[in-house]
Amino acid sequence: MHALIQGVILGVLTAGVYALMASGQTLIFGIMKVINLAQGAMVILAAYLSYQLHASFGLDPFLAIPITPVALFVIGVAVEVLFLRPLRQGDKAELSLLVTFAVALLLEGVISLGWKTTYRSINTSYANSSWTVFGYQITLVRLWAFLLSIGVLVALYLLLNRTRFGRAVRATVQNPESAQLLGVESRLVSALGFGLGSATAAAAGSVYGLLYAFHPGSHYDLISLLLSIVVLGGLGSIGGAVLGALIVSVSSSVVAATISPAWSAMTFFVILLGVLLVRPQGLFGSPVRGAI
Amino acid sequence: MTRTTRGRRRASLVATAACALVLGVAGCASSSSSKGGGNKSGPLVIGASVSLSGDFADSGKAVQRGYQLWADEVNAKGGILGRKVQVKIVDDTSSPNQVTTNYQNLINRDHVNLVFGPFSSLLTVPASQVAKRYGYAFIEAAGGGPSVFAQNLQNLFFVQRATVLTSGDVFADWILSLPADQRPKTAAYPELDDPFSAPIAEAIRKRFEAAGIKTVYKEVYPAETQDLSPVMSGLAAKHPDVVVSGTQAEDAYAQVKSLIQLKFSPKFMFMSNGASDPLNFPDKVGAANTAGIMSVADWYPTSDATGSQAFVSAYVKKYGGTAQQIDPTSAEAFACGQILEDVAKQTGKVDNATIIKTLHSGTWQTLLGSLSWDQSGAPKGTMSLVQWQSGKLTPVFPAADAKATPLSTKPNWGG
Repeated sequence: MHALIQGVILGVLTAGVYALMASGQTLIFGIMKVINLAQGAMVILAAYLSYQLHASFGLDPFLAIPITPVALFVIGVAVEVLFLRPLRQGDKAELSLLVTFAVALLLEGVISLGWKTTYRSINTSYANSSWTVFGYQITLVRLWAFLLSIGVLVALYLLLNRTRFGRAVRATVQNPESAQLLGVESRLVSALGFGLGSATAAAAGSVYGLLYAFHPGSHYDLISLLLSIVVLGGLGSIGGAVLGALIVSVSSSVVAATISPAWSAMTFFVILLGVLLVRPQGLFGSPVRGAI
Repeated sequence: MTRTTRGRRRASLVATAACALVLGVAGCASSSSSKGGGNKSGPLVIGASVSLSGDFADSGKAVQRGYQLWADEVNAKGGILGRKVQVKIVDDTSSPNQVTTNYQNLINRDHVNLVFGPFSSLLTVPASQVAKRYGYAFIEAAGGGPSVFAQNLQNLFFVQRATVLTSGDVFADWILSLPADQRPKTAAYPELDDPFSAPIAEAIRKRFEAAGIKTVYKEVYPAETQDLSPVMSGLAAKHPDVVVSGTQAEDAYAQVKSLIQLKFSPKFMFMSNGASDPLNFPDKVGAANTAGIMSVADWYPTSDATGSQAFVSAYVKKYGGTAQQIDPTSAEAFACGQILEDVAKQTGKVDNATIIKTLHSGTWQTLLGSLSWDQSGAPKGTMSLVQWQSGKLTPVFPAADAKATPLSTKPNWGG
């Protein structure tokens, strides 16, 4: 029972970080109908940037969060303008898979050149600290990561629901043609949306580097996880991404703690398959019209 | 058969014919190249394919440093039997195909006199097959997996004190040498699904179970497992006296960090790999948290085995850094050369047939300690049990290697 509850605690705390990464992925799909296979590589790039800021200037990865998202926002906008915009509208969904995978490989290559291929991890003074609550351990880093993720997700929610830009994004998601007719500059929304999705990857990347060791190829494992989460939650739904992250993280953590780590990764794929059989559009996905 | 396959087959036939022609010409040009070949006078050229790029690049470069340093040292003493030593290193990009090509080229095209091995068992298996085909001795520092010895090649000699599978025996020996009331009663085995990790912990588990130490936790986690916290929380809930971890590097660091966060410190902790890294381990888990953790090593900077201290000073002089920063792989590569020197000294010859015949008997003193091999090339010795004490990796068992008494209980995290 103790292992089960400890597993749930670990799973919930980790889910925040997964949700943050996946929210950017699902946002990009919602706006542009592009499955961004470079999202994992962007998370890893941000982890390296945070690592470097910590190693060179002693900057805490949490304090690096205002910096790395700006850098990744710029990279995201550049990727959209340079590589995705030239694609023809009809083939965009299929070709974007190839293009974003190429971007992922490009980023992996650049990271390998810049930081070599060895594992890195960000070790802060509080990296191993934890609080004991009713006999259970709450890791400080995970707790801060969880709270930060909630904060960023709330900010994202407010941006999408309380601002003019957010309205334009939601309008583009729901009906791009009508939005354009009403004066929404859809090209600008796409570029900013891709940048925003990349920026959330950056925030998640800083935290990711604190939790796990990483190397340039870490993005392969990450992208399969992120795709599972967004498909489970429903492509294009941020609420779905959060719920998907929670299901994936808690189920794999509980199974690893109580049954076997060998079954851990398998579990959420079984859940994913079960959900898709009943709801092919995912938990919160809309079969007809987009919604964030 | 598809057109592509047929085309490929035709291409390979042409390539084979071309190779045969080239080899034939080369054979005519130099009749001394075929068996254990190379020139019998002039410099003694030793070829080695090493991973200077790809997955094994870091370790491959450590092997290169060891080979090169030995060549420099032996040349400073006048070479071997009056011949200067030249080490010819080629990059195999960590690829089993490339390593095969490289040894073919070293032997048939470059006519090197002798060869040394590459890094990893993955590359040692195909490389040693090539060496065997041409009658070359295969002295290698970094291929100790079961697949290497299963070939039962008579020309191979693995220059470490024990094979991968038997490397953890020394920990079991120490635990079982303790008085019954000091031995652990329960044990946990978190194991990475890797041929160089899980089998070490499994070998210890069998001996512990036979001695009555109860297994309360045993799980194998996949190599791609990113988060080990849930795994270690399952282990901590069982409160084992001893944790025997079958680990590599990153998972070893993650295991320790997770246990610190879970505030569970076992009485004994052994890690097959990772904890024996004098640089990265304290850096990744925090120096104060290393206290009492055990691992195995066949070489350590404070070793006083034959030539070890001379190696340390020569290494630091040539490559910089400190003794603690020397990768043991460099020491193992250096030992390959020491063995060659001794064969030459003992027999007055350095041809491949003599090396193979001579190394199959007797014991050989190196900076790793005394080495001897069975017919398959597996070393017959045991590793040293090392323990982190006062921030240093210290040999503690067996008594012949020990520089300190082992701590019978691991201090709590933070020392």
